[in-house]
Amino acid sequence: MSNYIGKSIKRREDNRFITGKGKYTDDLVLTGMTHLAFVRSPYAHAKIKNINTKAALAHPGVVAIYTGDDCGNFGVPCGWQVNFKNGDTMKEPPHPLLAVGKARHVGENVAAVIAETLQAARDAVELVEVDYDELPTVTDAKAAIQPGAPQVHDDVPNNIVFDFQIGNPKDEVNAAIESASHVTKLNFKNQRLSPNAIEPRSYIADYDVNADKYTLYTSTQNPHLIRLLMCAFVLGLPEHKVRVISHDVGGGFGSKIYHYTEEALVTWVSKQIGRPVKWTSDRSEAFLTDAHGRDHVTTAEMGFDDNGKIVAFRVHSEANLGAYLSTFSTACPTYLHGTLAQGCYTTPLINVDITAVFTNTTPVDAYRGAGRPEMTYILEHLMDTAALEMKRDPVELRRINFIPAFDGVNQPGYQTQVALQYDSGNYHATLDRALEMLDYKQFRKDQEESRTNGKLLGIGFSTYIEACGIAPSAVVGSLGARAGLYESGHVRVQPTGKVSVFTGSHSHGQGHETSYAQFVADTLGIPIDDVDIIHGDTNEVAFGMGTYGSRSLAVGGSAIMKSLDKIIEKGAKIAAHKLEAAEADLEFAEGKWTVKGTDKSITFGDVSLTAYVPHDYPAGLEPGLDFSSFYDPTNFTYPFGTHIAVVEVDKDTGKVSLKRFIACDDVGNVINPMIVDGQIHGGVAQGVGQALLEGVVYDENGQMITGSYMDYAMPRADDLPFFETDRKVTPCPHNPLGVKGAGEAGTIGATPAVANAVMDAISHLGIKDIQMPITPERVWRAMNS
Amino acid sequence: MIVQGRYRILASATDVWIHLMDPEVLKKVTPGISELMPLGDDKYKATSKIKIGPVNGSFEGQLELIEKIENKTATIVVNQTSKIGNVSAEIKMHLEAIENTTEIVYQGEAKLSGKLAMMGQRIIGGVITSLSKQFFESLNKEIINS
Repeated sequence: MSNYIGKSIKRREDNRFITGKGKYTDDLVLTGMTHLAFVRSPYAHAKIKNINTKAALAHPGVVAIYTGDDCGNFGVPCGWQVNFKNGDTMKEPPHPLLAVGKARHVGENVAAVIAETLQAARDAVELVEVDYDELPTVTDAKAAIQPGAPQVHDDVPNNIVFDFQIGNPKDEVNAAIESASHVTKLNFKNQRLSPNAIEPRSYIADYDVNADKYTLYTSTQNPHLIRLLMCAFVLGLPEHKVRVISHDVGGGFGSKIYHYTEEALVTWVSKQIGRPVKWTSDRSEAFLTDAHGRDHVTTAEMGFDDNGKIVAFRVHSEANLGAYLSTFSTACPTYLHGTLAQGCYTTPLINVDITAVFTNTTPVDAYRGAGRPEMTYILEHLMDTAALEMKRDPVELRRINFIPAFDGVNQPGYQTQVALQYDSGNYHATLDRALEMLDYKQFRKDQEESRTNGKLLGIGFSTYIEACGIAPSAVVGSLGARAGLYESGHVRVQPTGKVSVFTGSHSHGQGHETSYAQFVADTLGIPIDDVDIIHGDTNEVAFGMGTYGSRSLAVGGSAIMKSLDKIIEKGAKIAAHKLEAAEADLEFAEGKWTVKGTDKSITFGDVSLTAYVPHDYPAGLEPGLDFSSFYDPTNFTYPFGTHIAVVEVDKDTGKVSLKRFIACDDVGNVINPMIVDGQIHGGVAQGVGQALLEGVVYDENGQMITGSYMDYAMPRADDLPFFETDRKVTPCPHNPLGVKGAGEAGTIGATPAVANAVMDAISHLGIKDIQMPITPERVWRAMNS
Repeated sequence: MIVQGRYRILASATDVWIHLMDPEVLKKVTPGISELMPLGDDKYKATSKIKIGPVNGSFEGQLELIEKIENKTATIVVNQTSKIGNVSAEIKMHLEAIENTTEIVYQGEAKLSGKLAMMGQRIIGGVITSLSKQFFESLNKEIINS
């Protein structure tokens, strides 16, 4: 029986969040704590000829100043190795904690000033004199690979990090495209986005000289991973003497996965000065230094036969990785991107070809969706464009091409042309439901009418698929991942039957403390108040890979389920002993073991107490009720869904108003519908942001000219309609909870739906395409050229 | 960023040229300038204070006049540094005599960096236009009153 699973229980976290009692890193004040501020490069590419710190050191309150000369031999690593097509290892130049010799993007750390107060540190930053010699810059990936382009790193010819290919042989794909009866070809710019978590990054390092131990408080999505990378690959510290704590974190969207230079630097500085040191990013620094997302330039073509069946799909992109390789930057345009090119369609021939490029820009890495939104935009925007070109209905074009339903149990998983095997899917079902919510026939009538009054209505579809919970470790390892992708789950039953659950996944807005407690309480048949979820501290949690890629419930939840199974199994032995029955005759339900067919039973609480007070106890059985498990999934999970956007374009001004947004998602089983709705809502808002508003822009000198909210447009409440959401459920066949993941679905599905809707509204005016963000200016120009 | 414009001064090209080449005059008519010290060879050390929208800073650096053709043309090279970012610019001026007046046509490129570029870029075009207008209006007044 489920008392909690499937119910929209209010989040336990929200009380502290909405009353200002959350415990964020910057809230902490340690005794004797100093403050660090950075001297950052004002140039996108410049030789550092000299750094004069004399005046700054003399400033009252300054404790120390460090430059690349002091710690330039420490650098942060990349976590995923992608090789060139010819087998050569990717180019991986060092990424020093403080710039050595030259700065390669605006905002790069050049010197660190540590002072008694933040004000003193910032004042002293202004007194550090850096003598730069400006060098030519390149910010665009396509420009960076041209012969003679400025070299970001001396030993990376043409700025090419690697080239990569996935899918069927290129000549087969090319031949199929050439002989197709219709080919739709588009050029895409998946523009660069800034992640914009509400809480800026913040780090406090505290070195304890007596114990020779470090504590790092950090706003990260994966404390164990940070500890591992920093200890093993950056500073060479003994891992057992480093504790990493990540309390409440105010949003990450991927940008807080990575091990940043600032994080390792504060840790190193704390030992140098023998005092705690804090650095908190301000908003300008966040724009310049939080890893960005997207930034692909693409040409893609889709070939169709006479019946509208896709015969081949090919993609060629340059992916801009910025000036240095961020932790998972190399996986985003490759294994998290090319592998999504099958979509929900039976396309028999696919080839994805990517060139990854260094430029004089902020490093690029995973941002909500990480490679999948980029591919989904290409695929789904091509589908709607092809439908317009072939004068077919976009819904019918999809139906013709959908992979038929398969549950992964009675029917096998679907083997794609791009390495993955989908676990289960029923793509018609979410489309059917979304159309029901829409009233498609009425919409087309309204659209006709709208064209007579200057308010052009348009509709856009997106039938996306997602790949979550990246795994298994052995497979990703063979593809170059330098980490395992399992999760740990530790369940400690206390003697009184109260339960502490330790998870290696990390909550930074996802509500794990609530949804995890729901399934734990149901599985053990105990009240939810008896369950506590603990995460974000390497001293409390055995190990963990953290949270990203919509993995937490599917991977982290499954690890907890494994431990719960062990607890129930051991509990049954104790119960059988106490009830003087055979284990096989017992059943466990609603928090008690009952001898089948009798009223003889023993509660979970009594069994727990017996486990810790083992006076009358099964012979040979260890006391205690405490299990830890690691879960390494056998496959990714593959959520999917249909998103429909209805927009109105003002013919006079080009302004796009989002009138309706319908989302029918299938994320497998749902533990807390309200939390899943919230994830979809937030994801859709960010997806709409990419389609209509957001974009990082560099000028020709590599200066970021969208470095504040005056110039970088974020979606606001009045940009968005009330979302109409519903769900279908196709359980994941390979994890114990049957869950798939919901964190990124909204972002992946929404962007193409909105872009398609704009084109549907204005394509009758002879406009072929508009690049994102689809601002009023771009629409107006397209309509008036 | 492209910087360009034109301004009509109610004086002869020779008059305009003489005043433009006089550091004392320039110091008087240039908005925000607090120091203009000749270093010889048409080079000057310049210090100024400028507030542009949210960006407020003191600038220090050099001005240099190159490619001078008397009464006709000159190029001004600016390199200014500040805590909020640096400015470098090269602006060519042409003096064109039209009856009793002189049309000054200027065109060039300015490069901004740091916070100045990040926060100020969007509004700095307007600021430069307004500063230029102030400069030429004051220059005009200075010449007429001299």
